[in-house]
Amino acid sequence: MKKILYSTMYSFKEIKNSKIFYSFLIFALILISGSYFVSQTSFISQGRIMVDFSIFAITIFNIFIGIFIGSSIVYDDIEKKSIFLSITRPVKRTEYLIGRFLGLTAAIIFSTVIMMLIFYFVLLIMHKYVIPLKPFAGQPTIYSLPQPLIIQALFIIIESVFIAAVALLFSLITSKALASIFTILVFFIGNVSSKMNDLVRPVKKIIGGKIVIVHQANHALTNIVHIIYAILPNFSIFNISSEAAYKIFISAGTVFYRIVYGLSYMVLLFIISSLIFTRKDIS
Amino acid sequence: MIELKNTTKYFRIGFFGIKKNAVENLSLTVEAGKVTGFFGPNGAGKSTTIKMIVGLVHPSNGIIKINGYDSMDYKARLNLGYLPENPSFPRGLKGIEIISYYSKLLNKKIDKNEIYDALKLAGIFYAKDIHAHKYSKGMTQRLALAISILGDPEILIFDEPLSGLDPIGRKEFKDIIFKLKERRKTIFFSSHVLADSKELCDKIAVLVNGRLIKNEGITAIEKEAEGYTEAKLNSSKNHERTPDTTKPEQDKDYRLIAEYNTPLEVYLYDLMRKNKKN
Ligand SMILES: Nc1ncnc2c1ncn2[C@@H]1O[C@H](COP(=O)(O)OP(=O)(O)OP(=O)(O)O)[C@@H](O)[C@H]1O
Ligand SMILES: [Mg+2]
Repeated sequence: MKKILYSTMYSFKEIKNSKIFYSFLIFALILISGSYFVSQTSFISQGRIMVDFSIFAITIFNIFIGIFIGSSIVYDDIEKKSIFLSITRPVKRTEYLIGRFLGLTAAIIFSTVIMMLIFYFVLLIMHKYVIPLKPFAGQPTIYSLPQPLIIQALFIIIESVFIAAVALLFSLITSKALASIFTILVFFIGNVSSKMNDLVRPVKKIIGGKIVIVHQANHALTNIVHIIYAILPNFSIFNISSEAAYKIFISAGTVFYRIVYGLSYMVLLFIISSLIFTRKDIS
Repeated sequence: MIELKNTTKYFRIGFFGIKKNAVENLSLTVEAGKVTGFFGPNGAGKSTTIKMIVGLVHPSNGIIKINGYDSMDYKARLNLGYLPENPSFPRGLKGIEIISYYSKLLNKKIDKNEIYDALKLAGIFYAKDIHAHKYSKGMTQRLALAISILGDPEILIFDEPLSGLDPIGRKEFKDIIFKLKERRKTIFFSSHVLADSKELCDKIAVLVNGRLIKNEGITAIEKEAEGYTEAKLNSSKNHERTPDTTKPEQDKDYRLIAEYNTPLEVYLYDLMRKNKKN
């Protein structure tokens, strides 16, 4: 257990000092601060534009971190042979893999928190979307973000770590470049699959007291879409930016269900990665 | 003690995954408390064998046991230090951060002084606060050496420890091996530099084309070498007396003997060359 913890800390340090992580983080921070200027181009609902824009930036950069660092965190370690000294210590390969993955998870949490903090300060300065809380009478007011925005941040973390698990798995069976491409594909399909699934559903109408199918897509196509929808992860459930923009409260049940979905899928992917990794020749 | 029994390793290469043997039916016992030199030309399979011993590569066939544990079991590495060939470290971390991390992966508690001692012994203490990706090749090698001797393991496995070191570094490294040898460590190191063999080794194993062609104690092998070189010198002298039979091939051999200064080196060189042809 201790070894996993040290491994996690070391991997986190390694990622934190890497150029790719830095550049993504800095880029996102520039965009978030820039969202202020973007919102100024509009006269109405400036706050909503800011939220949309910033949430998009935070999501996309964390997804990038998940994809690119996820596909290189073990792959590069093998390629550069720096893995040789760590897994020839008395550690199990799974322990090493968990350490690497948790290190990346920590990095994603770290970057999301920093981005959210900057976002919070921008909102605070603009006095938009922040909710004043008065904990005790006479005390200075504390401003909080609305609940859907906080949930959105949590979902971004889950989604990015999830994507990282996909990238890690791919990077163990193909090259780094292919792993990134496949992960991007899975991410893309995972975002549109639920919409596609709705599109190919038969359109039914009640005509004269009977249910009649007025339109039915090609059966083969329908089945393929259904299978893709069922098997590939559904990432669209982690995108609640419109709820966030309209400050719609997210129920605890929804949050719980989506987190459990993300975590269990991730654990499954990780177990497969671990099985592949323990059987792999590292040379 | 390390035991390899009928170990074979093949790699699948190319699109069709054709099998290619890197190590073939290798049986070898590395005795406890002795220094075994593992020699062979480039591509002989030395590194592959070592990677199987330290659990990086799965043997395709056969068994490898370290102190009774299977080589893929992490317990086999409880008391083992490994120095890879061409070691490298992640970017952006200092030497001291790297070695502290590796010290945490051991099953023993390693305190700061032990880390400093290892760094000092490997001669890299002065650079501990420099980022490891700025190290030269020799410095990287030394840091890896310091990591491999952390926690005072019983078994030490060095893959080409002398490559990339300058003459002073080589001398220092050999001194380190001598020190470890005095403390009765089990040392297994690979090299293709024959000149390193004699002073360090108790035993010599020679691998060519994935096959073990020699595995003997130093005295036995030296005796063999002397006999062999004498016979060889005599035969080339005979040739010299009759100038018409001098072949360029023999001429080359004669020069070689001059280049290598001990009979053992000549013997091992010839042994490798002969087997490489097959
Ligand atoms: N991962 C791999 N995939 C395919 N072939 C490999 C792999 N690793 C090693 N080989 C092959 O196995 C053989 C032995 O390689 P190895 O690295 O063990 O040689 P070596 O004795 O260490 O040589 P050197 O002195 O150059 O370090 C070579 O023919 C090499 O091409
Ligand atoms: Mg080698």
